Amino acid sequence: MSESIHIHPGSTAHDAVHDDHHHGHHEQSFISKYIFSQDHKTIGKQFLITGIIWAIIGGLFSVLFRLQLGYPDQSFPILETFFGHWAEGGTIKPEFYYALVTMHGTVLVFFVLTAGLSGTFANLLIPLQVGARDMASPFMNMLSYWFFFMASIVMIASLFIHTGPASGGWTVYPPLSALGQASEGSKLGMDLWIVAMALFVVSSLLGGLNYIATILNMRTKGMSMTRLPLTIWALFFTAVLGVLSFPVLFSGLLLLLFDRNLGTSFYLSDIVVGTDILPNEGGSAILFQHLFWFLGHPEVYIILLPAMGMVSEILSVNARKPIFGYMAMLGSLFAIAILAFLVWAHHMFVTGLNPFLGSVFVLLTLLIAVPSAIKVFNWLTTLWRGNIRLFPSTLFAIGFVSLFISGGLTGIFLGNSTIDIHLHDTMFVVAHFHIVMGVASMFGMFAGVYHWFPKMFGRYLNSTLGYIHFWVTMIGSYLIFWPMHYEGLAGMPRRYLDKSIWKSFNQFGDLDKMITVVSIIVFAVQLMFVFNFFYSIFKGRKVTTTNPWGANTLEWTTPINPGHGNWTGEIPEVHRWAYDYGKDGREFIPQTEPVGANESKH
Amino acid sequence: MATTTATTHQTKWWSGGKSPFNLEYGKLMMWYFLMSDAFTFGAFLISYGTIRFSQNFWPDPNAVFNAFPGAGHANLPLAFVSVMTFILIISSVTMVLAVHAGHNGDRKGVIKWIAWTIVGGLAFLGCQAWEWHHLITGEHATLIDGQIQLVGQTTTVNPWGPLVDPAVATEAMRNSSTNTLARIVHEHDHTKSMKDLMGMSKDQLLGMINVADMHIRAKGPVAFGGYFYGITGFHGFHVFSGVIINLVMLVMAQKGVFDRKGHYLMIEKAGLYWHFVDLVWVFVFLCFYLI
Amino acid sequence: MDQHKLASPEMTFQHHTDDAEFKKRVKKTTILLSVITVIELAIGLIIYTMHKGESPSEFLILVFKGVVCILTLAKAYYIVSVFMHLGDEIRNMIMTIVVPLLLFIWFIAAFILDGNSYKNLRNEFDPYFKESTMPKKHHANEAEKVPAHKSEKE
Repeated sequence: MSESIHIHPGSTAHDAVHDDHHHGHHEQSFISKYIFSQDHKTIGKQFLITGIIWAIIGGLFSVLFRLQLGYPDQSFPILETFFGHWAEGGTIKPEFYYALVTMHGTVLVFFVLTAGLSGTFANLLIPLQVGARDMASPFMNMLSYWFFFMASIVMIASLFIHTGPASGGWTVYPPLSALGQASEGSKLGMDLWIVAMALFVVSSLLGGLNYIATILNMRTKGMSMTRLPLTIWALFFTAVLGVLSFPVLFSGLLLLLFDRNLGTSFYLSDIVVGTDILPNEGGSAILFQHLFWFLGHPEVYIILLPAMGMVSEILSVNARKPIFGYMAMLGSLFAIAILAFLVWAHHMFVTGLNPFLGSVFVLLTLLIAVPSAIKVFNWLTTLWRGNIRLFPSTLFAIGFVSLFISGGLTGIFLGNSTIDIHLHDTMFVVAHFHIVMGVASMFGMFAGVYHWFPKMFGRYLNSTLGYIHFWVTMIGSYLIFWPMHYEGLAGMPRRYLDKSIWKSFNQFGDLDKMITVVSIIVFAVQLMFVFNFFYSIFKGRKVTTTNPWGANTLEWTTPINPGHGNWTGEIPEVHRWAYDYGKDGREFIPQTEPVGANESKH
Repeated sequence: MATTTATTHQTKWWSGGKSPFNLEYGKLMMWYFLMSDAFTFGAFLISYGTIRFSQNFWPDPNAVFNAFPGAGHANLPLAFVSVMTFILIISSVTMVLAVHAGHNGDRKGVIKWIAWTIVGGLAFLGCQAWEWHHLITGEHATLIDGQIQLVGQTTTVNPWGPLVDPAVATEAMRNSSTNTLARIVHEHDHTKSMKDLMGMSKDQLLGMINVADMHIRAKGPVAFGGYFYGITGFHGFHVFSGVIINLVMLVMAQKGVFDRKGHYLMIEKAGLYWHFVDLVWVFVFLCFYLI
Repeated sequence: MDQHKLASPEMTFQHHTDDAEFKKRVKKTTILLSVITVIELAIGLIIYTMHKGESPSEFLILVFKGVVCILTLAKAYYIVSVFMHLGDEIRNMIMTIVVPLLLFIWFIAAFILDGNSYKNLRNEFDPYFKESTMPKKHHANEAEKVPAHKSEKE
């Protein structure tokens, strides 16, 4: 097999001329190997490490505003040392608080759980698990990362400007986000936010198109769609969601940019600032919310689906049992992907949305319970009477299922527009979406990192630290978010700087202190994980076998440290689905093994 | 389709090792990119529809788009935009022919038809520039805050509101500046120079204006301009980038790059993009000019 | 090397149509598109003259606008199917393009419905909005008829 060809699977023979000067040989400089790499595995690692850095920043922000929420009257002089006029006298200024909340949301939702999660694992796993040498277009794949990098730079830059970053909430609702007069953060910081997000949309589009094209076009021989591991299906639907919904956010933000800088009135009408009557008229702030949530709702599934896919895979591998109901899992992924597009306005029940329309959205929203329940039951039945190996990855996967159940149930409350009248914009909402989407997806991500770390770096993560990481995070997450349900039911609003003037919320003072303390502990444990991650890259226990977990999927047929091109010889052919565990008395049967004559049917 | 079904039932399209759609990845990506772009434009046009439905009054497009280059004040609704539409349709046809020439490996044909497509694109952009210029610099007597002002269609003001009762308009004329009145007279009667008119008294000027014939309008919904410039601008940007892409294709074809590659698939992808630009125009045409 | 079977002979980049037949089809489609556009323009002018008329029937105007929308969809169909060759692709491929487009139905319906509802809500609860944006009906005889001739001079 010729050297020059096997590297570049994306090309058809037709493109050979074009490719030669990209990939003629193996000798790569440091820059082309680690910086401007076109190898999907390296790009995946770049996404992961950038995502980790963002997660530390975003997590730190949450610790800071939790300090304010838990100890509203206390001052922490060290804050002034670090943040200067943002925390004069050691107390967080209101502008700073809103900036922290906004950036925490933006960073975690987009930069960590979209780019860091699906960017990492789609890049790493798609070519490896479908049996391809690389993505369809490795060059566009590289661009995807670098657009993300540029978006990160712009977003980081906005943290350091004088007026501070965007601070109108991660949903950037106008008029707050549209008028510079409205707040410090609505000045330059907001423009930078929009630019960063536009770059982010480009990155996600480049990535998404690649994922779709690779999964459809580049599957190895025998890898029919119904033999794909569920990870790949989940990443496929994630990419479809991104490709179809991010452009709508892009349009909405472009109009917002015009409202901010060109004096148009898409979202603005009848506004008085101080004594100024603004000339804008005829716009509709609800329109922005529609546009935002047309992306925003699929976005939560963009975050959640990759985690679901990885959890399915990891649970099956470590329970040593076939995934229960593969086709049902696939169908429910599909159903969730469709419903994701139809339910956006359930975020807007109390904005002045037409109540009749709202009731249709209630119906569609509650339908999501069906595929979600199917998935939960299938995960539980996969575990049922399995021969479970409790690796950290397994624990995180089980933790995901637990969080998905408890967070999902509160979704049924919020999905009803009548109950939402009471619960909207309270801590109940915060509790709901953090558990079901935020923390659950983080757990999926952790599970994935623990499971595929050996494939990424040829070494294991330290398990002891992994177990500590899991148990503290698991217990901590429930301690942090469970009490918020009670606060929310009592009517405590979210996003408020200081609630101490309401007597009725004073009863929650100690609870809030507890939440703050626990979140600091949980944050510290995440830093421990980061240490484990970087330490293990260089000093971790070395992987000695190509298939350390005894898994069936194709990535474990590659060498321990695969080069660009993944397989040294021919790409293996696939003869069966990915879930033949514990079949005919054998612990596992890799996908590459031909079906034997006497083999039982599954 | 008829051409492919013959092989479909023998080939297991989905069993892996080949493209299930018999397409190379680049074309597949281009298609899905266009899908994505369709949602960008869709979101713009749907926002426009939403705002339009949330207003009690919306300007009649035939009153707004009724000018034609060189035709002065003649009322020619839909005329100019139909020229623009045909330019795009024709450029789409030349693009089809370029792609077809590519299939046959006919370099000269590709160059010829791509060149014509570029000409079409530039012509369209020229038309759009004229139309924007005309709308922005137009002077329409509009009732604003009890006065008559001469304004064009911009992103912050819309002169195409409901018609004003002549009595109200006459009253507003009295409140207006001499300069405005002089310009109004000048527009309808070129025999007198602006300088002479400016020298006249307000009453003299008012006597020369037949308010009932002027059909003064109030301000219209501001969002009209924002959406019109926003959406046609974004479309124009697509046309512009399409022209750039086609120029690159032209140069590459000229240099024989595709002949060396042995195929003209790049032209096909550029063609898809160009047709998409035409497709979007069909909907922009519908939403802004027809309904 | 497996991957390079992608470019195997069964990969048909060409559409198996001969030159003359293809040119005929393009010509036919071009004419069709032009004719539809001309019909659309005609309807546009009909709507225009109806607006000028004594008492335009809102319903009839709506019908005409509906017809224009359908004609536009027909145009879009021909552009995509013939010019973009989607009609020549494998059926599954066509489905991956057409099915996601169905999302537009709910996308459009929900947005427009809510826009309309926003108008109704404001007309009910915001007298200033109603007063300032509703076209005046009280001088109907004057105002409605005059608009008729207005644009001629503009």
